[in-house]
Amino acid sequence: MANALPKPVQRLINEFARLPGIGPKSAARLTFYLLRVGDEQALELADALRDLVERTRFCSVCFNITEADPCELCSDPNRDDHLLCVVEEPLDVLAIERSRAFHGRYHVLHGAISPVEGVGPEDLRIEELLARVAQNRLQEIILATNPTLEGESTALYLQRRLGDAVPKLTRLARGLPVGGDLEYTDEITLGRALEGRQEL
Amino acid sequence: MYISHLSLTNFRNYGRLELDLSPGATLLYGQNAQGKTNLLEAIYYLATTRSPHAEYDNQLLNWDAAETEEPVVVGRLVAQAQTATETKRLEMRLILERNGRARPNSFRREVLVDRRKMRLMDLLGHLRVVLFLPEDVQLITGSPAERRRYMDITLCQIDTAYCRSLSQYNKVLEQRNALLRQIAEGSGSLEVLPIFTDKLITLGSQIVRRRALFLAGLARETQRVHYESLTNGRETIRLQYLPRLAGNGPPEQESVASGEWLSTEEATPTSIKTQLAEVLRQIQPADIARGVTSVGPHRDDWRFLLNGRALSSYGSRGQQRTAILALKMAEINWMTAVTGEQPILLLDEVMAELDAQRRAALLHTVQSAQQAILTATDPAMFTAEFLANTTSLQVSNGRISYAESTGISGQ
Repeated sequence: MANALPKPVQRLINEFARLPGIGPKSAARLTFYLLRVGDEQALELADALRDLVERTRFCSVCFNITEADPCELCSDPNRDDHLLCVVEEPLDVLAIERSRAFHGRYHVLHGAISPVEGVGPEDLRIEELLARVAQNRLQEIILATNPTLEGESTALYLQRRLGDAVPKLTRLARGLPVGGDLEYTDEITLGRALEGRQEL
Repeated sequence: MYISHLSLTNFRNYGRLELDLSPGATLLYGQNAQGKTNLLEAIYYLATTRSPHAEYDNQLLNWDAAETEEPVVVGRLVAQAQTATETKRLEMRLILERNGRARPNSFRREVLVDRRKMRLMDLLGHLRVVLFLPEDVQLITGSPAERRRYMDITLCQIDTAYCRSLSQYNKVLEQRNALLRQIAEGSGSLEVLPIFTDKLITLGSQIVRRRALFLAGLARETQRVHYESLTNGRETIRLQYLPRLAGNGPPEQESVASGEWLSTEEATPTSIKTQLAEVLRQIQPADIARGVTSVGPHRDDWRFLLNGRALSSYGSRGQQRTAILALKMAEINWMTAVTGEQPILLLDEVMAELDAQRRAALLHTVQSAQQAILTATDPAMFTAEFLANTTSLQVSNGRISYAESTGISGQ
């Protein structure tokens, strides 16, 4: 059977279909939407993609995604140089920033140790972290990896590697969500919340 | 506990079913392949989140009926569960994965308890069941995996902490095995291995300890039921735990020895942990070479001993059947003792295979249960007296109707 679709159309469908969460049907729908919607919007999308690729990079200090190097967070003189927060992904930086509760610097690992997915320590920005720690006088490192098996394992690995290189090594507390209901909290979370209870 | 109402949508051969159930015994009868077993399976699924048959999980949905509907929520199982103290509405939704290109027929499961969305695991413990199947006897002759599955599903119904440890253990094991393979190939980090090993030891020793306690309790009850109700004291049955806690000698001898050690007072949480840590350390080079973790609860087994000999090799078919019946009846007593509440009994065509004495013993158990649901192709195999105290329902092609002639059917 001959392929009825012109090559450029098929090419875009294929590209969309490679994205996570998009199947062949959605890919075709998006492609035909762009054909219909007019040149301007389609070219804007193309432009945005080009911009994304050409104008962003990893910050050479914290490895967050940035336009300028070093990034805004690393070059901000008002942030505390003695505090470092280690996270798995750039989106985690955003989440912690939204909390407005942290004013130190960040380090983005770009993942967590997961042998099943073929991710080992050498695939993460761990050597860069160690170098950073060696060069700066840090008072505290906060390990803010996810409370999953992979995140926990990464934190434990970092603990081994960091050793006494920093006076204080902490891990984010685990416990009750704000607005949560004790009755509906699972035993593990509740147990951890009890362990991590604080004096009033 | 009992179920007062069951509602099914697109589950197996049921397009739609609303069924009121009462405490006491309910008999589902009808020709083969009409949906009797599917009804038991729905209840079992709501209680355990597992299908009675490991390999069937993908066939739960009624795909024919599902295709005609909007492809969002596809299947739904709802049960109203009554315990001594509360009523809970348990709901499981089976949702078609629209983007499942790799596995087009896959579905996602969603759990709601009293209409609140919960994790799958939170469904456990609200409904407890003991299931009798004709093929249960395969527990004796089948693979160790089947016996572990039985142990895990039974324990998970009463112990959510166990269930959680088990699921975490399996994740850690998968990561550790992947890492062992990578180390063997030269790409994995030896520095990361102890992190997964430590987690494996902590979770693994909890699992081993829990299983040892569980089997010891179940063994005592099985022995009692077997001796008193089923064999008139002629035979003695034992359940023997065969954990994989050692790695040097012949596996069977070592497992027997480890199992015996676990029943002594020496086996404290700390000493089990030390033992597992020690054996994992000893066999680490071999495990790296093979790319698998070769000891631990994922390799556990257990067996029946009849008069001191392995039932799988020396027992007759009849003796094996009696042992399974004793195990299942003991499971009911054990669950009742541990939780203070009787589980619901689900019996699929099991009466036909039993001789008069065993059938009488099982019927006695059924009649003293708070709720029991039985299936049979022919209600005539039951006595008139039994049927008079039983709700009989006819199952025909995914529909259920109240029987006219048999007993006091209620509505």
